[in-house]
Amino acid sequence: MNKEDILKKVREAFISVLEHENFELKDETTANDVDGWESITHMMIISEVEKQFNIKFKLMDLMNMNNVGDLIKTIESEL
Amino acid sequence: MKFVKKLQESILKYLDHNALCINNTFYTYKDFAVEISRIRNAISNTVDDDEKLIGLVTNDDIQTYASIIALWLEGKAYVPVNPSSPIERNHKIFELTETKYVLDSSVDSIYQEYSVISTLIDKDVSINLKDKKVDGNDIAYILFTSGTTGLPKGVPITFNNIEALVRAIDAEPEFNLLPSDRCLQMFELTFDFSVVTYLFPFLSGACIYTIPKGAIKYFYVFKLIKEQKLTVLTMVPSIINYLRPYFAEINAPDVRYCSFGGGALHSDIAKEWSDCLPNCKIFNYYGPTEFTVYSGFYPYHKENHQKSHNGIIAIGTPQKDTKYLVVDENNSEVQIGVTGELCLAGPQITPGYWKNEERNAKSFFIKNEDGKDIRYYKTGDLCFKDEDHDFLYVGRADFQVKIRGYRVELAEIEFHAKANAQKKVNMVALDIINNLGNAELGLAIESDPFDTSNIFDHMKAKMPDYMIPMHVQFVKEFPHSINGKINRKELKTYFDINELK
Repeated sequence: MNKEDILKKVREAFISVLEHENFELKDETTANDVDGWESITHMMIISEVEKQFNIKFKLMDLMNMNNVGDLIKTIESEL
Repeated sequence: MKFVKKLQESILKYLDHNALCINNTFYTYKDFAVEISRIRNAISNTVDDDEKLIGLVTNDDIQTYASIIALWLEGKAYVPVNPSSPIERNHKIFELTETKYVLDSSVDSIYQEYSVISTLIDKDVSINLKDKKVDGNDIAYILFTSGTTGLPKGVPITFNNIEALVRAIDAEPEFNLLPSDRCLQMFELTFDFSVVTYLFPFLSGACIYTIPKGAIKYFYVFKLIKEQKLTVLTMVPSIINYLRPYFAEINAPDVRYCSFGGGALHSDIAKEWSDCLPNCKIFNYYGPTEFTVYSGFYPYHKENHQKSHNGIIAIGTPQKDTKYLVVDENNSEVQIGVTGELCLAGPQITPGYWKNEERNAKSFFIKNEDGKDIRYYKTGDLCFKDEDHDFLYVGRADFQVKIRGYRVELAEIEFHAKANAQKKVNMVALDIINNLGNAELGLAIESDPFDTSNIFDHMKAKMPDYMIPMHVQFVKEFPHSINGKINRKELKTYFDINELK
């Protein structure tokens, strides 16, 4: 799966949790840039991404995940 | 005031110790003492002696913590407002308390209609932590919680109330903080639980570790536990509920104490969490804002101390000087084993809701015991006492629920949801338990589907984010019980919140 496909699936996970499409996901995008992305919805997004890709993140990776780029990198390493 | 003196002594004794860790920056007690001295100096130069209630914008920085201590040294109270809450709500709080002065560490304060005292002060002042004489009945802080009429409810806590809390915790031999402790402070300063997470570490010369605004709370807590080797955790149960899928990766041998409060602690998760903290004592604390944070606790142990009811860990026994009483609807005590409403009496009880006589008449009552009039606060929590005199939690008596540790009146959400709706339809706010055991808010709307964006815009302008429903469900016709009331329990089953679309 290339990065573009991963990003597309990640975007779907965001939409399903946040219930809007009013955002752009780039490597440097953080929770501050997306309406509704905060502590609780982050947990929901993470679990949705795990389901979509059929992977399980490690707490150590989640702990240091600061933006969308980190998220994509971690997904790539798990696939 | 004794506890203020003790704070002063502790700060001066541990000047070279770390007091705060904020966003990876450490501040010593000396740094803290300097900030406190600067701020109190600014307060005493600006504010009249009889102006007692001072607004405080709760940023995540040393100045905000120093402001609290500075106000106490000056014998004044803090009225905290959360910068991420809607400005309208914060103005309402200042209006209700007639606040004239606001302490603010923001570079550009948005509270210019008040007299803003900037706490970003770059001025040489000598350290001065001498406390002014205060009347113990004066207010030390006022916190606002969700109210039923859309108006937030103020709970004033006096210096005497805090003094009694400190006395009770000091009397507890099982819990002793050390100057070497590293303590989690994960709460907003507008949430009463924060009082114990900064006050007790500061009284002991220990260091507190805060959560930066905007951080993903759950993972940041874990990061602090792991990288900073925290020794004392104080948390709401929802934190571990969200971390639960990752428990297998958590092993934190440095943690000595873990205190829970602000919501029901379930026994299955308590046991699993306890496995992550092999050297830790776990306390399940109970206490409402109206009773100065804590009123008592149950010491949990996964092997030999795990009393529970319906899977919820016991709340144990009242602490020093506090009395628990379980009553029926006539405020008469019920027998052991019988469920009733838990009422609290003792020196930690608030003088009463801020300018709200109607509510005070409902929430407090006087009972004559052995010739003495004892004033009780009705908690709204259903409990019973067992044969060992432990208290067990059963549920809420009304429609007030706990969301991430915050108390929320469902009626307030419904009020704001309906206020700006284009369609006049029935709406019901519900607390729905997700598969992690946390309550999330749902809004049921009795109608065919329509665009709810203006309803949500209005709610977001009126209420803090934890009160905004995360799920919406349109229901053609609400289910009703036999006596014609909306069947809330059945309505909850319309929400399938664990199955994401």
